[in-house]
Amino acid sequence: MTWFAWRQFRVQAAIVAGLLVVVAVICLFTGPHFASLYHELKTCKAKGDCQSLRNSIFNGYNTYFPFVQAFSLALPVLLGMFWGAPLIARELESGTYRLAWTQGVTRSRWVFTKLTLVGGASMVAAGLMSWMLTWWASPVDTLNADRFASLIFDTSYITPIGYAAFAFALGVTAGVLWRRTVPAMATTLVVFLLVRVPFFHFVRPRLLAPVRVVRSLKNVGNIGFERTPSGVSFVAGDTNLPNSLSFSTSVVGRHGGEVTQQWLHEHCRSLLQLGSPAPGKGVKVTTGIRPKAFTACIDKISTTFHQVLLYQPPNRFWTFQWIEMSIYVVLALLLSALSYWWVRRRIA
Amino acid sequence: MTSALHAVDLGKRYGRKWALSSCTLDIPTGHVVGLVGPNGAGKTTLLHLAVGLLSPSSGSLTILGEAPASSAEQLGHIGFVAQDTPVFENLSIATHLQMGAALNPKWDAQLAQQRIYELGLDPDQRAGRLSGGQRAQLALTLAIAKRPSLLLLDEPVASLDPLARREFLATLMAVVAEHEVSVVLSSHLVADLERVCDYLVVLASAHVQVNGEIEELLSTHHRLVGTRRDLDNLPDSARVIEVSHTDRQTTAIVSSAEPILDPAWSVEEITLEDLVLAYMGQAEEQRRDLVRSKGGAK
Repeated sequence: MTWFAWRQFRVQAAIVAGLLVVVAVICLFTGPHFASLYHELKTCKAKGDCQSLRNSIFNGYNTYFPFVQAFSLALPVLLGMFWGAPLIARELESGTYRLAWTQGVTRSRWVFTKLTLVGGASMVAAGLMSWMLTWWASPVDTLNADRFASLIFDTSYITPIGYAAFAFALGVTAGVLWRRTVPAMATTLVVFLLVRVPFFHFVRPRLLAPVRVVRSLKNVGNIGFERTPSGVSFVAGDTNLPNSLSFSTSVVGRHGGEVTQQWLHEHCRSLLQLGSPAPGKGVKVTTGIRPKAFTACIDKISTTFHQVLLYQPPNRFWTFQWIEMSIYVVLALLLSALSYWWVRRRIA
Repeated sequence: MTSALHAVDLGKRYGRKWALSSCTLDIPTGHVVGLVGPNGAGKTTLLHLAVGLLSPSSGSLTILGEAPASSAEQLGHIGFVAQDTPVFENLSIATHLQMGAALNPKWDAQLAQQRIYELGLDPDQRAGRLSGGQRAQLALTLAIAKRPSLLLLDEPVASLDPLARREFLATLMAVVAEHEVSVVLSSHLVADLERVCDYLVVLASAHVQVNGEIEELLSTHHRLVGTRRDLDNLPDSARVIEVSHTDRQTTAIVSSAEPILDPAWSVEEITLEDLVLAYMGQAEEQRRDLVRSKGGAK
């Protein structure tokens, strides 16, 4: 049975294997070069040299990122659509299930074998892709120091394995429910996005209770004021927490409360009289170009207000990878069980 | 002795519509059974139930004494050729045979190869490029090489041209003669069955109308022709299946175990086709009556 399941799957497997080979070639041809540039950067002395090294590393990666990163991001759902959805739907649609399920092999075993073989292959394919990308992009990922960023977290390490398992099982389930390949593929794409996007947006930052840090506004970069239609409002943007997942940032006074219009009016009168950009444009005034009134006001704010950060620290990275992968694998197992049961009991 | 197919009050429902209803059948082994009925009568449903692709909504069914598709071994006893003879379009004939070998414990590789050779087929050819007749022959080969005890064929010749039809049925008969295999063959055309079957099941309007060995059916059904009159004075066991009147003459098809001795009737032998048509006509008449009575109630 395994042999025949593989025989039916061979062409689809070869296409994905071919794409992975293309990625592997890119990685192998460019990866060592980037690694040596990075090594030079680590040991460079002159400031100008370092900057040009940095630039050539970033520019080098940017040539290939659109393909490599996008492929790693899309691969799981593509596997769900092109491996998962047709797995059983095509047999039902073309009528070959009547040939397949009347051989000397029970339907249960037929479905179980296909689920494990092709499902396993999906996880291996996504794992290989992720492993290549993780290795290849490690210099630039280190420089960016933003491992929790969606494009890194979701395309590297082990999460793609979970996504692939989930997308595959989703495809199979959609296939057995629709009994037709094309609608099942469309359903797979839509449902996958409906789960994945809200998950990384809303669920991921809340997987563990975030760490709470209160820090002085003096350490905060990218601080300033923004002109809004109703006046001027205070902005403290940059969290400046490398390799972390920021949950929320807020500016809170010693006795609670925020930096309001009212407060600025009382304490930073001179700031409000500044010549300023056209109202309503919302142009930011940053620390780099501060006039005196600006500095004075920031100092006043810093004495009574603090920045409160809620975030997931770098040492939780692997915990988050494991949690997220496990959640998607569990979803995959549930969907697989559903489609297995459905084929056994409902397609009869 | 176990029956090839034993059904008790078997029914299959799709939503609110019964595709097969209160079907009670006991077909002994060793026959070539013709399952005949109009399109949509429930033939495919019955065969799919028999091979375990469907499960019953009511009643019970055993095939060679076991529940359909209850185990891999049970599936191995049954050769099935589905309607329109599905094959894997992208796979070659040789791969189909490899599949058969990999999935069926009693697979007869030599028989399969021999048949492909005799049919003049190229083993490397993709199944999707075969003609209808060749595809049917491939499907039959796959079913036969399992060395089944029971062969179920669902309208295997319906889509074939007359020549391919004749060749297919000839192959089938050769197989039956060579290997002791029971066969159930469905068709909506009596002519297909007449030459090959020795047992008949007429299915119409989701119900079994009549079944039995063909010889016996033909000897217990009679065509009565006489001057126009009512059908009384028949033996108690006689049942009227179909009756038609012209101005002067009455013709009836009657089932009766006892001979019809009334000299007013001239008793003629009946052909298989007439018998089947009579039962199908009766079922259709009942169906129309039912629809009319429902319509009248409104």
